Amino acid sequence: MTQRFHTGDAVRTRAANPEGHTRLPRYLCGRKGTIEAVHGVYPLPDERARGIALTSCTKEALYTVVFDGREVWRERSSEPLSISADLWDCYLEPERAAK
Amino acid sequence: MSGHHDHDHDHEGHVESASMASRVGALVAKLEAKGIVREAELDAAVEAFLLSTQRAGGPALVARAWVDPAFRARLFADANRALDEIGVDMTHWAQVKLRAVENTDRVHNVIVCTLCSCYPVSLLGPSPSWYKSLAYRSRVVREPRAVLAEFGLKLDPGIEVRVWDSTAELRYVVIPRRPEGTEGLGEADLAALVTRDSLIGTAVCRANSAG
Amino acid sequence: MVFLYGRWRFARAGASLPIVPTTHDVGGASEFGPIAREAGEPPFHQEWEARVFALNRRLLQLGLYNLDEFRFAIERMPADAYLTSSYYEKWFLAIERLLAEKGVVP
Repeated sequence: MTQRFHTGDAVRTRAANPEGHTRLPRYLCGRKGTIEAVHGVYPLPDERARGIALTSCTKEALYTVVFDGREVWRERSSEPLSISADLWDCYLEPERAAK
Repeated sequence: MSGHHDHDHDHEGHVESASMASRVGALVAKLEAKGIVREAELDAAVEAFLLSTQRAGGPALVARAWVDPAFRARLFADANRALDEIGVDMTHWAQVKLRAVENTDRVHNVIVCTLCSCYPVSLLGPSPSWYKSLAYRSRVVREPRAVLAEFGLKLDPGIEVRVWDSTAELRYVVIPRRPEGTEGLGEADLAALVTRDSLIGTAVCRANSAG
Repeated sequence: MVFLYGRWRFARAGASLPIVPTTHDVGGASEFGPIAREAGEPPFHQEWEARVFALNRRLLQLGLYNLDEFRFAIERMPADAYLTSSYYEKWFLAIERLLAEKGVVP
């Protein structure tokens, strides 16, 4: 089981999706966000979609990650927006930017 | 053609309804011949599903949260456990992990599944076609205020919109704000004010709204 | 022909060509217009839709395929079919595809 992140961690989603089924939407690729919740371990849908059995597929931590709308859409806005998505561990990398 | 989709799926060039009925019938017949399904059990499953949608527990959940602050706190901490408390059965055909999200005077929540159509069916009943539409799925993450305005909901500019994209096993329900002027109402009357759209986030509850 | 709506992308430069369909991945797209709504919409508009719903549930229960395979089968349909098929038409096409791929129904 893989859990690299904890609530409050800064993360960045991977820059692009590999081939096949996945649950990271493209509009959230390559974006900085914050771990808002950790939901325990779930089978990776990317593998399940290829018919891999529950007993043998990868299981990873699932997180709710929250993104600022200005980060997602790359534009300034006076109207506050945040977007959350529930993402598996392998969709994410640590974000090391100084705050 | 009778009974056709009045609702839009954007650029609709769909197959004729009679043709779909016969294609579906043919597949079911093939599967029945192989002993994989039985048509009678499919029909029974539809009946059971339609019955279950009538006791969808979203409004009851909200009404209890409005009147009972301790329950409200438990709901946001662990929505599945809170549902068990009030006897709402979430079991559709699989157990679902639910998260309740709170509308306040500063935050308005709205739910979507941009990738497909994930929705808390076992709590809210079948999803409306607009929720599953390409237009809603694509636009609500990008311009939620414009989408909400189309639904007749205008938010103050300072309010933060929080969009929850249901990309995994969690399902979301919005707990709308209790409307003004409802202080004297009991739970059943309060539940009647909770519309399906307010539980998705495309509406708010009003003292004279019908559930 | 130029796809107005298709978003096709190649997996990796130098890799052998799998074209990865992403038509379903619509978050943020701007070409879809107003959101049409139907007051008092029933759960199913046609009986065949209800049967497709029940059939999918049964086949999932039987373990012929899992939910992620089902979603992937929808995602793999040709872009024009995805964009023009109704919700339950997509379900039916996915079920047909999965049953064929798994050799259950030719």
